[in-house]
Amino acid sequence: MFPVKPMKPTFKCYLPPLQTDVKKTIEPPIKKLEPKLLQGEIVVNEVNFVRKCIGAESSQDDLWGKLICTNFKVSFIPSEVPSKQKSYLSHLLLGEHDIPLTCLEQVVTVNDTKGKKKILGSNQKLKFNPTELILYCKDLRIIRFCFRETGPDSAKKVCLAIAHYSHPADLPLLFGFEYQGRRYHESKGQRVNGASPRGGLRTPIFDRPSDWDREIKRTGALEWRVCSINESYAISPSLPEHFVVPVSLADQDLKKHSIYFMNQRIPLWCWNHPNGSALVRMASIGDPLQQRKIDQKIFSAITKSHPQRSEVIKSDLDKCLPNIQDIQSAFTKIRQICVIDPFEESEERWLSSIENTRWLEYVRAFLKHSAEMLYLMEGKNTSVILQEEEDRDLNCVVSSLVQLMLDPHYRSLIGFQSLVQKEWVMAGHRFLDRCNHLKKNDKDESPLFILFLDCVWQMMNQYPAAFEFTEAYLTVLSDSMWIPLFSTFLFNSPKQRAQHLVDFAKNKAIPQGEDQVVYFPPVWDWSQQFSAKDQTLFNNPMYVGKGVACVQNGEVKSFRRTKKMYSSTLRGTPASLRNGLKVGEDSLTRRGSLVSELKPDFSLVRDESPSERFFRDWFSRPADQQSLLIPLLMPSHLALWKLFFLRWVPEACISKGGPITAYHKLSQLVDEIEILQSKLRQYKGPSPGGTPLPSSSGPLSDQRRMYFKASFPPSPPDFLTSSFPFTPMGNLCRRSGYGTPISKFLNGARIWLSTETLANDAL
Amino acid sequence: MEKSGSVDSLGSKRSSSRQPSVDSLSSTSTSRSDRSAQAKPPFAMSSDSVAASAELSPEFRQVLRDSDKEPQLLPNETVQDYAQDVTYFCPFIGALRGTVIVTNYRLFFRSMDRELPFVLDMPLGVVSRVEKIGSASNRGDVSYGLVCKDIRNLRFAHKQMEDTLRKSIFEVLVKFAFPVSNGLQIFAFEYGQVFPENGWKVYDALSEYKRQGIPNESWRITKVNDHYEVCDTYPSTLAVPVNIPDEELKRVAAFRAKGRMPVLSWIHPESQATVTRCSQPMVGVNGKRSKEDEKYLQAIMDANAQSHKLFIFDARPSVNAAANKMKGGGYESEDAYQNAELVFLDIHNIHVMRESLRKLKDVVYPNIEDSHWLSNLESTHWLEHIKLILAGALRIADKVESGKTSVVVHCSDGWDRTGQLTSLAMLMLDGYYRTIYGFEVLLEKEWLSFGHRFQLRIGHGDKNHTDADRSPVFIQFIDCVWQLTRQFPAAFEFNEYFLVTILDHLYSCLFGTFLCNSEQQRLKEEIPKRTVSVWSYINSQLEEFTNPLYVNYSNHVLFPVVSLRHLELWVGYYIRWNPRMRPQEPVHQRHKELLAKRAELQKRVDELQREVTNRSASSLSEHAGSPTRSITPVQTFV
Repeated sequence: MFPVKPMKPTFKCYLPPLQTDVKKTIEPPIKKLEPKLLQGEIVVNEVNFVRKCIGAESSQDDLWGKLICTNFKVSFIPSEVPSKQKSYLSHLLLGEHDIPLTCLEQVVTVNDTKGKKKILGSNQKLKFNPTELILYCKDLRIIRFCFRETGPDSAKKVCLAIAHYSHPADLPLLFGFEYQGRRYHESKGQRVNGASPRGGLRTPIFDRPSDWDREIKRTGALEWRVCSINESYAISPSLPEHFVVPVSLADQDLKKHSIYFMNQRIPLWCWNHPNGSALVRMASIGDPLQQRKIDQKIFSAITKSHPQRSEVIKSDLDKCLPNIQDIQSAFTKIRQICVIDPFEESEERWLSSIENTRWLEYVRAFLKHSAEMLYLMEGKNTSVILQEEEDRDLNCVVSSLVQLMLDPHYRSLIGFQSLVQKEWVMAGHRFLDRCNHLKKNDKDESPLFILFLDCVWQMMNQYPAAFEFTEAYLTVLSDSMWIPLFSTFLFNSPKQRAQHLVDFAKNKAIPQGEDQVVYFPPVWDWSQQFSAKDQTLFNNPMYVGKGVACVQNGEVKSFRRTKKMYSSTLRGTPASLRNGLKVGEDSLTRRGSLVSELKPDFSLVRDESPSERFFRDWFSRPADQQSLLIPLLMPSHLALWKLFFLRWVPEACISKGGPITAYHKLSQLVDEIEILQSKLRQYKGPSPGGTPLPSSSGPLSDQRRMYFKASFPPSPPDFLTSSFPFTPMGNLCRRSGYGTPISKFLNGARIWLSTETLANDAL
Repeated sequence: MEKSGSVDSLGSKRSSSRQPSVDSLSSTSTSRSDRSAQAKPPFAMSSDSVAASAELSPEFRQVLRDSDKEPQLLPNETVQDYAQDVTYFCPFIGALRGTVIVTNYRLFFRSMDRELPFVLDMPLGVVSRVEKIGSASNRGDVSYGLVCKDIRNLRFAHKQMEDTLRKSIFEVLVKFAFPVSNGLQIFAFEYGQVFPENGWKVYDALSEYKRQGIPNESWRITKVNDHYEVCDTYPSTLAVPVNIPDEELKRVAAFRAKGRMPVLSWIHPESQATVTRCSQPMVGVNGKRSKEDEKYLQAIMDANAQSHKLFIFDARPSVNAAANKMKGGGYESEDAYQNAELVFLDIHNIHVMRESLRKLKDVVYPNIEDSHWLSNLESTHWLEHIKLILAGALRIADKVESGKTSVVVHCSDGWDRTGQLTSLAMLMLDGYYRTIYGFEVLLEKEWLSFGHRFQLRIGHGDKNHTDADRSPVFIQFIDCVWQLTRQFPAAFEFNEYFLVTILDHLYSCLFGTFLCNSEQQRLKEEIPKRTVSVWSYINSQLEEFTNPLYVNYSNHVLFPVVSLRHLELWVGYYIRWNPRMRPQEPVHQRHKELLAKRAELQKRVDELQREVTNRSASSLSEHAGSPTRSITPVQTFV
């Protein structure tokens, strides 16, 4: 598999031990520091007497232990188990000190006596003995190991091994293939008994016509049909096998048109508005001569699918949004100032530095453009075509944002996951290239998905009751991109996924006809990574929703504005509501709310555009969380996603504070409500419909949706910090006094933590 | 007042018929969002108050009767002038034509346009300056610009008066906006509203010291300043080290600027480490010393057995502190004060802060530029100043809590930066001050009784808007408090609305609380007798100001992260006039709903339980086991 180094014969496989009795294993240190290995995981190299740097000013908090490189991860096993109880999210497959190899962004070796450093790639030589190893991770962690007490040769070897194994030569060498193969066979017995289809997944994958059918029904897209001309990827290599097209377009027409589209990516239906307008995405047409003709045909077919025969508007995203390189560069810069630059240094001109990265500007641009598309569909009743050269990047962001804003279904957990599946995974977003899992081509790397998650977070930040899931969920989802065990983020297209998984099944003797989702599961089965209890951190106690997603029942549910129990009081315009004004009156008085670009010299307001007027009207009314949701987009409305960008920075960590303390309080309250509700159900006995009684005393603890239970003491527990459920401890630490952190930071470390580190490919 | 029901121009549910008039005020000035645009206040003007205004023409009476158009007047508020056909240039909506009414308390504008009902209702106290802009633009139009203290500007225009003898309504406005300059009384002295709660009883120095455990074996209460003879800007009740007699206190006072000697602000309940405050020592260029002052600081240190050190926090940048020597002031030399360590906190003076807020206003009002928002914000340095103040307070709190060391805090006079620092440190250290009552006590104590010069800093009713003594020191403090509430959303009993309300009434001149410069002046003016306290208003409707997420951390000390990564512009205050700045979905609101839901469910469970108990009692034999399962009441934490 990994051909270069001779493998060690220690070939051990066992189930991942889940936090088993730590106390028993307190033996004299150094003796046996065994890594916890997954099925198929092997130790490639290891070295003892390594120090993991925890504190910046002194080494007193540093941990001694063994550094191990496997074919899956870099693991550090401290020789002394810290007594501190774990209070944060614990991963079922990764230990506190583990980093998957795919999560490594850069492997930097340092010899501080010689003042040398080198960024290690694959198959490289190292001419000095490293005294330190710094691992820059894609999840924004920075981990530092010190080799002063280590044999120089073994230190060098482990560094080289880490560098080498983090640059896999080919996709099937990613550990997920080994792991899932073993897992399939080892868990076969369990699966046969009482296995539910598709591994018990509730998230539709959109790899079969029925998933699309349900979506058509759910949105009432009567004039649209599932089309399977791309079966076996006969037409386009990057489209899914099944997708949705206007009824009026026959398979033959589509085949005919397809040759003119980039990658043969003909228009795909994304979503239907209850008013009949459709959201469609497509690639650009190469031949300018053909373009008009094809456009016209597509337009008229889409118009025919609209109940009011409304017109169609095409938006060319390449012309109005930043491109993938812009986004990559913005992300690199914002990461630099958030986690890499010394805290005090970036503190000095923090605001303008953030602005200069342009990250928030781009987030705003995508939200703004999506809101404009929303206006066309909701306000003007027109269908919208999103066009992008390849239809695989910007279109993914905008189409999913438009749907999130318009359709509350996608703000439920299952709905959101199905949206990612539909508009990203199946639409052929090149996760493999954009994530640069193989570290082959930096040019293609771009954090589009993270940009999307940030946009979602901005909406969540503005409408905290509108989403079923939390920012912790979004963060964990982003982290999952760097764990190569799930099929979701590993491939460039459904075709590539299918091909690799067929080969994989052959190699691993998985019977033909077995569902790929079962033998190589997507990330959506969260029990692969987290306990049921930890998964409750994904639940937003404030969510005002319907609970179960509509798809489950196969019902067509309209989400037209309906009066919800909470809707009328949720809007932040207490004045009008308290006055008991009717909505109409209120909106009148708030006329002009979106007028912008006014000079401070009291000049008259310029004429309002229809879309501004539309937004202004909407903002003047209380928002219904179960209806459309438009983000507020003044520059001052956008915020830095602190949990994502700052969770590993110890100096930025508010102890016993942060939004989590509000979450804690709300979570306890909702838990109480749920206990009461279940009691009520008991009193009422079996309902006429025949649903059985719930368990005897309240919901079972594993059924309870809230992480913080009502029975906890009301004051926030000590372990709560603004980084929760993550902990900056153990990350490269730069200690702070008074919250005004020391300016002297990491005496020697400053050299290699300076700005050029990541950019510089120094030898 | 008429019973005008609960619906009023800007008010809210809270307006019970008991106090309808206050609501209209609170809402006008304390709008959390743009409430300048409000519709349909019920016709609620009392006929008395209309009649009271003698100059009213019949025509105006007609206008007044034309319902829906008038402000709801407060007790003793009288209409002074009105004008029709006035144009208000709303920076968000554009020009609006309507009627203006000026009372002895407010400016009220209502657009005539039926299509576009619009109301602007504003206390005159917020006006900082009125400028006649002249008739440059249109033939015969005169326009007036109103620069306001609460981060907005207004502009009006009307036709040139044909009758040259008749005054423009805005000249009338000037008279009532600046009563002090025009020999009139501030409206607070006329406002006669009676509230169920009496805010003047919120603070009693002796009980607050008693709460802290003072007097004790090391600290005593002194009456040396009973008649404000030692220091006319200090309160009459002071806490000082036991072993320093009153006579010596006077000599210490003589060595401190304005006689503001070091006195106790707060004492740690366990370690006995203290926060004391004072003004700068009068060291001068020659490095004058005072044996009494040195002994006194030693006594402060000795009162805390835990530490053999004393920290002196000088709020100023060291350069400024040194420059003060030229004026006879300065700072403690470490030679003279043996066990003391002096730390400069680099906080700038009132002039720098004033300029910073002016720049901030330029950046946020009326509109925010689409690009360069963050760098524009940075260029105001407002958040940087906030950061320095919070960082200073944090160092003080950390020394007291973690270092168990007593601290002395001063700046030059000890009534601006010093008050900011001590009160913020106390807020971090003592959970009591994070309750609504506790916060009121904190303001009464550290700001009002210790002589923060509100009259001078705000310039109540004074037309002299260029006065160099004006400065947003108190606004800055409230901003710092808001920053703390952002970092610890569950640690404060009060909500954002509470803070905004305090700032609004800082300017409104409706309540007496923030009038005058010192306790002595307030006593002389009989403020508590002649005016209403803002706490009367607030404490009569606590629910409005309560943070439902509040969890009593009681003994927990808050250590905020003082970094621009976490400091934010308080948009809910500085940008609230912008209608695009709609407040975000309030977590609080949702929490209230959940509380209501829980209460309802609890009620239903209780009812059912009672029913079941009754039923099972009557038919015990039939249903042996099932319905009698005991339901333990759910623990209630809220």
